[in-house]
Amino acid sequence: MADVNPQTQDHVPFEEQGLRGRLSRYRELRLTQEELAVVLLTPVMLFLLAVSFYPIIDTFWASFHTGYVIQLPTQTTEFVGLENYARLFSSGSFWNALGVTLFYTFVSVPIELVFGLGLALLLQKDFKGRYFAQVAILFPWALPTVINAKIWAWMLNPNYGVISDILVRIGILGEPFAFLSNPDIALYSMTSITIWKTSSFMALIMLAGLSSIPDHLYESARMDGASRWRQFRDITLPLLKPTILVALIFRTLPAFQAFGLPFGLTGGGPGEATTTLVLYTQQAAYNNPGPTNGGFALGSAAATVITLIALVIALVYVGTLYEPEVR
Amino acid sequence: MSVIDRTRSVELEDVALWDIGRKFGFYGSIIAIALASMFPVIWILISSLKPPAELFVFPQEYLPYAVSFDGGFHIVEQYPLTLENYHRALQQRPVGTYLMNSFIVASGTAIIDVILGAMAGYALSRLRFRFKLPVLLVILFAALLPFISRLIPLYRLAIDLQGTPFGTVFGLNQYLGLILPYAAFQMPFAVWIFQAYFKELPDSLEEAGLMDGLTRVGVLFRIILPVSMPAMATAAIIVFIYAWNEFLFALTFMTQDSKRTITVGIALFGGQFNSPWGIITAAVFMSLIPLLLFMFLFQKRIVEGLTAGVGKA
Repeated sequence: MADVNPQTQDHVPFEEQGLRGRLSRYRELRLTQEELAVVLLTPVMLFLLAVSFYPIIDTFWASFHTGYVIQLPTQTTEFVGLENYARLFSSGSFWNALGVTLFYTFVSVPIELVFGLGLALLLQKDFKGRYFAQVAILFPWALPTVINAKIWAWMLNPNYGVISDILVRIGILGEPFAFLSNPDIALYSMTSITIWKTSSFMALIMLAGLSSIPDHLYESARMDGASRWRQFRDITLPLLKPTILVALIFRTLPAFQAFGLPFGLTGGGPGEATTTLVLYTQQAAYNNPGPTNGGFALGSAAATVITLIALVIALVYVGTLYEPEVR
Repeated sequence: MSVIDRTRSVELEDVALWDIGRKFGFYGSIIAIALASMFPVIWILISSLKPPAELFVFPQEYLPYAVSFDGGFHIVEQYPLTLENYHRALQQRPVGTYLMNSFIVASGTAIIDVILGAMAGYALSRLRFRFKLPVLLVILFAALLPFISRLIPLYRLAIDLQGTPFGTVFGLNQYLGLILPYAAFQMPFAVWIFQAYFKELPDSLEEAGLMDGLTRVGVLFRIILPVSMPAMATAAIIVFIYAWNEFLFALTFMTQDSKRTITVGIALFGGQFNSPWGIITAAVFMSLIPLLLFMFLFQKRIVEGLTAGVGKA
């Protein structure tokens, strides 16, 4: 647009400036856009490489080798092919944990999405006290997962739980109920708790998506006599699709990695009724070390499986919901 | 249904009644939802203020005082309010130390992510360079990687470094042993918040700076960063809350009680069935005070940060 000072023009070729020109340019920190981008991005990329990407590759490598066990830190490792995976896939606990995790994830996330959309539609318009309502409704999101687990463990206590107390008072239950120690119910209880905790987060994301839909679309729809439901189905939902994609990825991946909730709520029990994949993996790696029944080798194999499933989930979401923008 | 009939036969009173009813229903549902969201915290507060013996009764008492009527109104005490659980929690467990550890770790994480996130976010949103899309995709891809897959190698690394000079930087029971992984895990979100914010700034900001003879680095430090305080606050708050709440790494890396963060400290308070609920509820409420303050003071920023780029991308 405006004329740029020739001194700072970015496309002056280096060669024309000569080595001396280039050095003085660096001394004065007069970098081109590309040089500045390299300077600014290198620390982040190196950091991610060291703390995010290297560990993933190392886990992958470790999953094909014998274990490195906490009690025997100097133990050497040797290549064993798919042996760790064979042990993993022949373990009933692994398949149980996979089932628990898939149920927990794919029951809670769609319900959260529906609740979140409903909440967002409710909170969409301005009203008195909206700020306080939003703070109150968003608060469960900010609760630390494991502390939330402790709170609900107390509220669902088999003898003195307030949830039992309320249900007894209104006549639904005759006596306190063991929501967490009943093996048929514990997973439902845990799933309900996460729906309670995260629906507000969904609402927040949906609210941002709703506010980006231009009002004039609704106005013209109203003039054409479209019902509320038609407006919702033909305007709101299609335009909300990218937002739903973001919300689904944001929620599915953390739900799939649930750890703090089962740890603090039930410890994975009763039996293994609420043992999620990450809890199983953590226990295999740290609580049952030993060359045969666990250790880091088995833990690494399980972690690699978790990574692969997480990436498949992300790919499927992007593949089915992403539509390149029409320009 | 009947609504439509009513508006057709315009009867003023009916319309007004319907309006009041609708308002009542709207505020009623808002209050019900807000109460459902806050009830667990309220219940923790109530439980923590009860005398320990009052916790283990059924049915439970809700309020310390009740109004009874026998000819006249009387206020009846149901249970005495007491801070005993708080005293005992602070006596038996280093709750203050846990909170301080959490604060140090969360602040350190927020500082690293704000600095590095602002740098990368600026480059990705306002500079032209080759391979921009691949770089952005690599950063976002890092956000998809499960935490558990990064845990075991980093733990092994920390063990291997024990006893070496590096062990004081990255190791078990070192604050940086948590800060560095947390900062890396939240980096994609920090970068995303910054690039969404920088994208909205007008181009004229940089042009004016360049015209005045500033270098690109000068433009970044003298013009862009000073106007991006809101984005910094947003990123810092979100990252802080994440780091404050994290559990898996904190449990694994902090094996000394004096280095544990508040989430680990509380999670390890006792078994499921014989838990000392009096001191747990007191400690839980103490751990929530900073979060409650954060939510009330910074709700707008938090909402902005969580929804950065939603609906625009």
